[in-house]
Amino acid sequence: MMEKEIKIQTKHLWFYYHGRTILENIQVEIEKNVITSLIGPSGQGKSTFLMTLNRLWENIDGARAKGSVDINFGNGFEDIYTVPVSRLRRQVGMVFQVPNPLPMSIFKNVAFPLRLMGEKDQIRIAQKVRDALERTFLWGEVKDRLSEDARTLSGGQQQRLCMARALILEPQVLLLDEPTSSLDETSGRVIEDLLLDLKRTCTIVLVSHYMDQVKRIADNGLVLTDRQLKQH
Amino acid sequence: MPFKEKLARSLFFLAAVLSAAVTLAVLGFMIALSLPVLKKAALWDILSAPWSPDHGQFGILAMIVGTLCIALFSLCISFPLSLGCALFIEVTRPGGPGKVLKKIVQLMTAIPTVIYGFVGVFLLVPIVREIFVYGSGMSILSASLMLGLLISPTMILFFSQSFARVPQSDLNAVDALGGNTVQKLWYVMLPHAWRGILTGIILSFGRAMGDTLIALMISGNSIALPSSVLDSARTLTAHIALIIAADFDSIEFKILFICGITLYGMTSCGILLARGLDRKPR
Repeated sequence: MMEKEIKIQTKHLWFYYHGRTILENIQVEIEKNVITSLIGPSGQGKSTFLMTLNRLWENIDGARAKGSVDINFGNGFEDIYTVPVSRLRRQVGMVFQVPNPLPMSIFKNVAFPLRLMGEKDQIRIAQKVRDALERTFLWGEVKDRLSEDARTLSGGQQQRLCMARALILEPQVLLLDEPTSSLDETSGRVIEDLLLDLKRTCTIVLVSHYMDQVKRIADNGLVLTDRQLKQH
Repeated sequence: MPFKEKLARSLFFLAAVLSAAVTLAVLGFMIALSLPVLKKAALWDILSAPWSPDHGQFGILAMIVGTLCIALFSLCISFPLSLGCALFIEVTRPGGPGKVLKKIVQLMTAIPTVIYGFVGVFLLVPIVREIFVYGSGMSILSASLMLGLLISPTMILFFSQSFARVPQSDLNAVDALGGNTVQKLWYVMLPHAWRGILTGIILSFGRAMGDTLIALMISGNSIALPSSVLDSARTLTAHIALIIAADFDSIEFKILFICGITLYGMTSCGILLARGLDRKPR
């Protein structure tokens, strides 16, 4: 039997918002290349936990975290607070509950992370955009309208576009904050198939409210209740 | 429709009609009162000639140039200052320090113009005089510096409001992709907020042109055409205030209505431009 390989581990992680404790002494291990679901009642801090994994909480006024989050990017565990934040977020992609395409074309949206990194080679960019759209099963649907505004896509397509945008940087970890909650069932199923395909190359942490979805696609589970996170 | 709602709607409509009517009445009043002057001299002659009543010349060119110079220079001073402050408030330090700065800026909008004028006369003018060793220090530069400071709060609040309207989801997208503050500003905030920024600039320009006290107290009020920013100049508003204080029935006095119409036209153009920009689909 193969030994489990740990990708993310948190130690004594606490999170406070305007002095109020949101997460209390979180100690979890997240396995590599599996889908780990995170469930729990609304307002308990599931999204906050995701934001402690890519330091996105640092943009929130009144937020404070203590404890450590270590991620193994291939050379042993690294404390994420010692990694430059831009490098961390390129390795730990995130997709939000509501699709958030930027007000630009479909092509530019997907290519946007490369632009942020200063990539200039147009042929390389075009190839990577195509690869990312193919990975999210979107290429066939949008290949003839790449210059159209991304906001003209349907909700499900927009969410897959946001996933393509996150995947173009080839992240090792993908954080998904209820990615199917604003979509219809068919679009949600497409995303689920996509996640099952993605876990071959990515460690996925999925916040979900749907137990049937968790049962269908998650390999491991975490439950957040009363500010504490437990393995399910 | 219930009677109370009908009454409220009628009152609002009346208020809107009344305020529009007053604005138009002011313009009509000025045009009517300037007609006697326009019968004697062509409008272009008044707009392009120098002001020299002793030689029978009542042109307002120097005042138009003075108004535009002071308003433009004040804009050049306040724009980078305001953009920097707005970015500090909304982007780099939106928490405690940004909030404190915003409160201070809001407080600045309530300071009477005459206070700025006093500070200008007793603090700024001597400094400008000592640094440049040129004239009395009452100059376009001094007036522009102080006017720049005066219009900055309006501009800062306008800019920060525009930045605050940028959708949080777009900002989150850039943050989650590892973008830094400059990239967030360049790729997301400015494309979203540029219309608001431009509108703020145009409205502040109108405010700078319409201000009377700063120009009157600090610009030196010379009726000669200025050739440098260290020269003194007179604005249309200061000209109106100076003449009206000493006269009431001469040709000089009647020319003031042309000054008023010119100022009205200049500020209205700015406001219409701002409105036009605001109406275009985002």
